[in-house]
Amino acid sequence: MLRFIAGRLIVVIAVAITLSFITFFLLNYAIDPAQAVAGEEALFEEIEQVRIQYGFDRPILERYFEWASGVMRGNFGESYYWNKSVYLLVLERAPETITLALMSVSVTIIIAIPLGIVAALNPNTIIDRFALGIAVAAQAVPNFWLGLLMIILFALTFPIFPVSGDKTYFHFVLPSIVLGASSVPPVMRLMRTGLLDVVDSDYIRTARSNGFYGWNLTINHSMRNAVLPVVSVLAVQLGHKFGGSVITESVFAINGLGRLALESILGTDIPTVQILVFIFAFMFLIFNLFADILNAYLDPRLRK
Amino acid sequence: MNNFLEIKNLSIAFPGNHLVNTLSNFNLKLDKNGSLGIVGESGSGKTLSMLALTRLLPKQAIVSSGSIDFLNHNLSEIDNLNFYKNFSGNKISMIFQEPMTALNPVYTIGRQLMHTYMYHNKVGKKEAHHKSLEMLSAVKLSDNLERMKQYPHQLSGGQRQRVMIAMALINNPSLLIADEPTTALDVTVQKEIINLIQELKEKFGMALIFISHDLGVVSQVSKNIIVMKRGEIIETGKTYNVLNKPKKLYTKTLISCLKNLNTKRKKNKFKKNDKIIEVTNLSKFYKLPSKLFSTKKIINAVNDINFSVYEGETLSIIGESGSGKSTVAKMLNGLLAPDRGEILICNKDINKLDTKERAEIIQPVFQDPYSTLNPNHTIGYIIARPLILNKPFLPDEIRNLVLKTLDLVGLDKGFYYRFPNQLSGGQRQRVAIARAIILEPKILICDEPTSSLDVTIQEQILQLLKDLKQKLGITIILISHDISVVKYLSERVLVMLDGKIVESGDTISTLQNPKKEYTKKLMSAVYEI
Repeated sequence: MLRFIAGRLIVVIAVAITLSFITFFLLNYAIDPAQAVAGEEALFEEIEQVRIQYGFDRPILERYFEWASGVMRGNFGESYYWNKSVYLLVLERAPETITLALMSVSVTIIIAIPLGIVAALNPNTIIDRFALGIAVAAQAVPNFWLGLLMIILFALTFPIFPVSGDKTYFHFVLPSIVLGASSVPPVMRLMRTGLLDVVDSDYIRTARSNGFYGWNLTINHSMRNAVLPVVSVLAVQLGHKFGGSVITESVFAINGLGRLALESILGTDIPTVQILVFIFAFMFLIFNLFADILNAYLDPRLRK
Repeated sequence: MNNFLEIKNLSIAFPGNHLVNTLSNFNLKLDKNGSLGIVGESGSGKTLSMLALTRLLPKQAIVSSGSIDFLNHNLSEIDNLNFYKNFSGNKISMIFQEPMTALNPVYTIGRQLMHTYMYHNKVGKKEAHHKSLEMLSAVKLSDNLERMKQYPHQLSGGQRQRVMIAMALINNPSLLIADEPTTALDVTVQKEIINLIQELKEKFGMALIFISHDLGVVSQVSKNIIVMKRGEIIETGKTYNVLNKPKKLYTKTLISCLKNLNTKRKKNKFKKNDKIIEVTNLSKFYKLPSKLFSTKKIINAVNDINFSVYEGETLSIIGESGSGKSTVAKMLNGLLAPDRGEILICNKDINKLDTKERAEIIQPVFQDPYSTLNPNHTIGYIIARPLILNKPFLPDEIRNLVLKTLDLVGLDKGFYYRFPNQLSGGQRQRVAIARAIILEPKILICDEPTSSLDVTIQEQILQLLKDLKQKLGITIILISHDISVVKYLSERVLVMLDGKIVESGDTISTLQNPKKEYTKKLMSAVYEI
């Protein structure tokens, strides 16, 4: 098992290095960093001055290594747009996004897993159709629309939750439901098909021949096998929540990383954008690593 | 209700266009400590009857009539909940055909055994652990403490089946139902498992119902026998009487099929012919994909073997799974390139032959006729395909040749426009053979051509191969694990073990007086009537 984790870790590090390389190069080639700092209306001489002053005239490889070694030491550079250390900026905004991501994935799990189980245990019945119906609806509804609808319904018509902001956990309930709902369909479907496959398997027939039935059969004999594909897809969904909460954060005025990314892009703030892109991608890697480890723990056949 | 188990007039139906009984009027009586064999081909209802007893029937199945008395209980009066708690796994246990999939892959052997014990007996973990170890010893598995921590994929097929048996017997049932428990296993392992089941039956004093398609195996383990066909009981009685004085025609054909397969063969007259295949120092390695920290593992699937085949003869290659016999077949077909050594076919290196040229000399027939025919094409097209690819014939000529070949393999003209899914297993295998012989190849490589077919069909296909050999003078290489098929069809035999040839020679003399230890073991594991 340790060997398995070590192996995966090396792969993650290799991918992360490649990733940082690509983000840095793409951004620095797509936009002239000197012009971005100097501003759109700057004169040619001013831009050239900035280029020399900030060291943008040096070879790109040299700048990459400087940036990368900084990142490893926790120094993400200075934001020209916010006039602040990028590190502090990220640190300030991260808790909101983490809270939102974790809460919305919890919403997904709470809705999708039981629905999937119930649908699988009653295949092709009204219950199954109802569960699938919810899934299809959740998939069809756009995020921003559901967000606005939720605000109107639960914040204005029935003022149970606050309209927007991020001061208390209470503020996160509506956005978490909105963000979590979009992940319900894939997770629920996988749970359903996963469990259906398991219920038909030979080892469940063995368990039934030994007298196991009902919830005991489902929880103690089927769930662990059925949940394997769900774990992988949940990791991907959690990654999505981290990077993909831009719209929801804007609708509910949550000052998280998604909103920071949006604002930094609009302000052509290369240092902030490049570290955010890297962090979002890196989170995907980490969550996938966790999913792999969890799956290997659940299924001994994967521990090779 | 004095009987241990009595099933009366059991009928089971599946809803469809018209409700037809898939099992009709099934009757059975069994004493305490009795043993009963149920024999039949696939679809005969032999498993279905037992699934009704253990309440494992598919959801759609409808029990349309019948009653089951077991241990002085009328089972139809017992509700499911009561049945699950007090009968299944407790008084009635069942073991299944596929040991590979019948154990849960994500739990240890120990947990699965302990759970089954703790579920029916209100005991603690410690006691359950102790009992599990005891059961593993009873099924003769070594290193029990280690086994408890292992997962199913770390065990071999035979070991898994032993674990299955341990699990079935852990609650000391009064009745054990074994549904083809050895069909998926190699012959030598099969013998061990059957001996074990018989031994444990005596030791635990239980009744045994043994379901199999193999008359030989059933006659070994059971005193009474039921012969089934298409959901009905054809004949029933003491095993000895049924086998020696069968009353019904179907039982007679079933037995004669087996006996025919055991007929003796004449001397090999082909040895004076030219060598059509010469294999020298042939080796094939498989590399297991390397992982980050481990070195590459290399498996010698075929390890430096030499043999030749004479024109017109039938050579069998026998061996258990993993012996390398199928790898040899693939290399002879040119589907796999050897790593070392060479194969000469008609004095030409097979890997230097053009694929079209090769196709005209050598053709394969595979094991599973259900997956080797493209379901989207008509039979006519499937058979014509090699011709279209290899010969510049006109459509009319091709059609005539296909019809001729259909006739040759004993199929009616009417099959020309049919699709594979409209055909039975035996008919499909005939199509596969027709496709293989239409180019008039010199050599036919048959890899387990009958092992997925029922006994009666099996005999017909073997007869067909024999006829074709006589009519067309084809050389046949037969890959099989079934000794009786080998005896029936081939003049010479190679016995393979771990990628090497252990013994070779004339079929009858080699198999009747084996010289090598392994061949002896293989032969002693064959059940005959």
